[in-house]
Amino acid sequence: MRRDDSLTQHVDWWLLSIVVIMLGMGIANVYSAAYDPDHPNIFDFSQKYGKQIMWVGISIFLGFLVFLIDSDIYRKFAIPIYLFCFSLLVVVLFTPPINGARAWLGIGTMGIQPAEFMKIGTAIVLSRYISTVNVKNQNVQTVFIALAIVMVPMVMILLQPDAGTFVVFTSFFFVLYREGITFDPLVLKLVNAIPGVRFKETWVGSHFIPILFYVVFLSIVTLLMSGNKYEFTFMRGVLIPGFYGVITVITLIALIAYLILRWISSRRDQRRVLLIIVTGWFLSVAVSTTVNFSFSSLAPHQKDRIELVLGLRKDDDGKDYNRNRAMAAVGSGGLFGKGYKKASVASVRSNHVPESETDFIFCPLAEEWGFMGSLVIVGLFMGMLFRIIVIAERQRSTFNRVYAYCVAMIVFYHFAVNIGMNIGLAPVIGIPLPFFSYGGSSLMSFSMLLFILLKLDSQRRDVLF
Amino acid sequence: MNLDGRKYVILVFFILVGSIYLIRLFFMQVVDDSWKLRAQEIAEKRKEITPPRGIVFDRHNKKVVTNRSYYNLMMKEEDIHDFDTVAFAKLVGWTKQEVKDRFYQIKKGEGKYRNPNTGKLQANYQKQRPYPFIKELTIDEITRIAPHLEKFPGFYEDLTSMRSYPYSGGANIFGYLNEVSKEEIEEDRFYRPGDQIGRAGIERYYEKQLRGQKGIKYIVTSALNNAIESYAGGKYDTLAEQGPALHLGLDIQLQVYGEKLMQNKRGCIVAIEPKTGEILALVSAPSFDPNILVGRRNIGKNYPKLLLDEGKPLYPRPLAAEYPPGSIFKLLQSLIGLQEGVITPESGFPCTKSMVGCHNHPNANNLPDGIKNSCNPYFYYVMRRIIQQGKKRSIFADAELGLNIWYDYIMSFGLGSEFETDVTGMRSGLIPNSAYYDKWYGHNTWAFSTIRSISIGQGEVKVTPLQMANIAAIIANKGWYYTPHFVRSIGNKGPLPQFKVVHKTKIDSQNFEPIIEGMRRVCYEPGGTGKRAVVEGVTVCGKTGTAQNPHGEDHSVFLAFAPMENPKIAIAVFIENAGFGGVWAAPTAGLMIDKYIHRKVKDKAKEQMIVSANLLNVKARPMKKK
Repeated sequence: MRRDDSLTQHVDWWLLSIVVIMLGMGIANVYSAAYDPDHPNIFDFSQKYGKQIMWVGISIFLGFLVFLIDSDIYRKFAIPIYLFCFSLLVVVLFTPPINGARAWLGIGTMGIQPAEFMKIGTAIVLSRYISTVNVKNQNVQTVFIALAIVMVPMVMILLQPDAGTFVVFTSFFFVLYREGITFDPLVLKLVNAIPGVRFKETWVGSHFIPILFYVVFLSIVTLLMSGNKYEFTFMRGVLIPGFYGVITVITLIALIAYLILRWISSRRDQRRVLLIIVTGWFLSVAVSTTVNFSFSSLAPHQKDRIELVLGLRKDDDGKDYNRNRAMAAVGSGGLFGKGYKKASVASVRSNHVPESETDFIFCPLAEEWGFMGSLVIVGLFMGMLFRIIVIAERQRSTFNRVYAYCVAMIVFYHFAVNIGMNIGLAPVIGIPLPFFSYGGSSLMSFSMLLFILLKLDSQRRDVLF
Repeated sequence: MNLDGRKYVILVFFILVGSIYLIRLFFMQVVDDSWKLRAQEIAEKRKEITPPRGIVFDRHNKKVVTNRSYYNLMMKEEDIHDFDTVAFAKLVGWTKQEVKDRFYQIKKGEGKYRNPNTGKLQANYQKQRPYPFIKELTIDEITRIAPHLEKFPGFYEDLTSMRSYPYSGGANIFGYLNEVSKEEIEEDRFYRPGDQIGRAGIERYYEKQLRGQKGIKYIVTSALNNAIESYAGGKYDTLAEQGPALHLGLDIQLQVYGEKLMQNKRGCIVAIEPKTGEILALVSAPSFDPNILVGRRNIGKNYPKLLLDEGKPLYPRPLAAEYPPGSIFKLLQSLIGLQEGVITPESGFPCTKSMVGCHNHPNANNLPDGIKNSCNPYFYYVMRRIIQQGKKRSIFADAELGLNIWYDYIMSFGLGSEFETDVTGMRSGLIPNSAYYDKWYGHNTWAFSTIRSISIGQGEVKVTPLQMANIAAIIANKGWYYTPHFVRSIGNKGPLPQFKVVHKTKIDSQNFEPIIEGMRRVCYEPGGTGKRAVVEGVTVCGKTGTAQNPHGEDHSVFLAFAPMENPKIAIAVFIENAGFGGVWAAPTAGLMIDKYIHRKVKDKAKEQMIVSANLLNVKARPMKKK
């Protein structure tokens, strides 16, 4: 059979190697983090490292299965796979809650998290859907279907509740952006509803990711500056701190931008420039005002987390306990670390860093291997991401490319949020570090995501559309 | 719309986040040290190990202060579950309410610390920390309780070390230990709450030596404060070091014997080895067993009792009680007279009784007989010759000059000032000089006749028993002394340097011969006042004293050294309100000398007489404090 021969020839050894290296390092690291001197055997299945080895074994087995099955199956059976995963998400809501969330579907003592597998289902369906859409001819319906594919599972996940996975699902919006799925039809409908306005296209809907970045940036600035809000001295000592300062700065920037643009642009574009700047100013002020006043309506613990990450508050031994301990563990690693199994802050035994074998697995790693270890980990993830993008861009089929981008974005989200919270740059959101955190569901779902990608890639030449 | 460019947006985004994270990691892990300090603060703890205190030995290498193991019953609230208060109370012999109260007390009071920001005391009770629930249980108590502790999870026993006094004597010498106060902790970083500190006597004076060196163990702790392992394999740990042994000049058997002799009496015995200045015994009566002040519970129970006892057992009589020396002072007047050349050993003075009273005895025709008879008029004349030497025309100016000459001599005997020595609670006594009398009477308004009572050791003169014993030692040495002290060696390093300095008096040694002869006659010749001090087999030289005082019956005083030829012990006995010195003080001194030199007392009858005598109620008055 030609296909079977081609598997070893066409599989992407770079990506496969990175995955295998990560799986190996993951086991070694869980063994160190969760080490129990009473059970020194790494294959002791009563311990987390023993179980992790078992999960790795199962994951590799699943990988082989994926390699054996024709890759066409995912495109063909995309909708049944999606629906199966979704049904699990429905079923899980009827289980008794564990630690306040209905996230686990138990089989004996072993449990799986359907939300982890929903990522695969969503990625496949989204890929299939986008491969059928004519990008140049989008309407409100296409936008709605794309949104529904992503957001319906998100709602189900929020019901569990599982904030971490919920956040991860927003990674699909980057895929939509990459593939040119635009929200313009939707935005046009809203904007053109205003009397006298007639747009054929807006900039907002198609460039929503840069706009999102701008909104996030503006929100952070607003929150940082509105710490001492409503202070306003104008005539004596012109300083205008607080929230109004943000508004003032936005206005000033808008004015300067207008003057510059008017000077450099042709006469014909004058009205356009004015319109863009007025809209930009209006949206900025709206965002800033909304963030400022809606922040207080957030749940208290969410507000705390955001304030702590922004450094607006200090509560090292209270609400900021986890983050502070995690940062101390990472920071104490030094250049070369304390040595394997020598973590004093982040080991499970010392328990200063909670969840150091799952969500905070980066801590023992960074503490024991120092900056060199951190460099290797970040390097591996960066390498993996680049490789996936390279793979994505060489696909002939849209389905394959979109799927590859889905994988890239999911891995990136996990990497960025998880390590971000370990080093204090992101609020504490409980999501695992792919291939490193202890836990079967995450390990299996990431393995399958990547093995499916590898399989799709190895068969890329067979695909005709 | 060009979608191909969007892959670069995503790539740039990846690179941006990746580099920000790496830069951040580089700063956190390599550049900025504050996280390392924070990690140490979180995970590494210094654990101090307090060594047992140094052991104290007497001159015959007997352990006189040693350590004994006690147990604390510890509790850790976190581990307590299904606690049966009634059964527990029954086990430890408390009431249910007492158990509850103790829990409350621990939670409110233990681990208090001063908040550096507010300056207020804050309770720092933590459920994960062990606290002593009952302190200082004896081995008997803990062997009864321990087997049942498994029924009470969260409770366990913990070994501690406490002082023990095998000879039950010398309480006034050794002092006692108590928990450090907050002020002491703030003053000296060595101490931690719950540590013991010497409160009096040798324990206090040699605190810095006895407490030893604390060991420090660096350990990695968990979030629950449990030790996990030693930090860096114990590389930075230091071992606890027990304080050096103190070797005392004290003879504990003599001390205990002295305390036995002094039972039911008020007063003191001080014995010194003249050659070295080492204190052989320092009895303060009434005395108490030092073992009753071991541990918090005992101190709480017994200290107030001792404080309120009307015999004032806590008052360091031999060091702080300032008595008029009485007739023993005549020895000093004789020495000064001889040294000044105003008398000779052959000088005789009639017992006129006109100026000062006396008892009936033949006139003394020479100095030794004057001492033997303790003739008051004799020494009145001697003193007059010292004070009024006729060097000035004005009688007042002459007396002033004479008194200051006398004062300089007396001061060279270590009187009128505190010894710089290793005992605490000492007082200086009082020796008047011209300035003193000028203050009282006015300049040039007083002469010998005004101050004549000092000639026989009465009046303004005040001397402590330790100083008296030292006078005996000086006479035995013929003119010099070492500062009386307890510790002959710290570990094997010898005594403190100040105890190796010879103090010379201003009296030449040949002038001591007639005085020593007089003291011999006191004990051995007919008419001698101290014949009861005689000990078989040695020649005792002594001098009685009968100190008049405003508090009632005279104090009985005896000062002696023995043997005459090669003095091994100098002793002063002072028994309050016991009357004539020869009756009670002299035989007590004799027994002490016998005990010290022969290690065994042959004269059981005399011993029995002294031991059984109760002199407490002879016009018992509260003791005078200066």
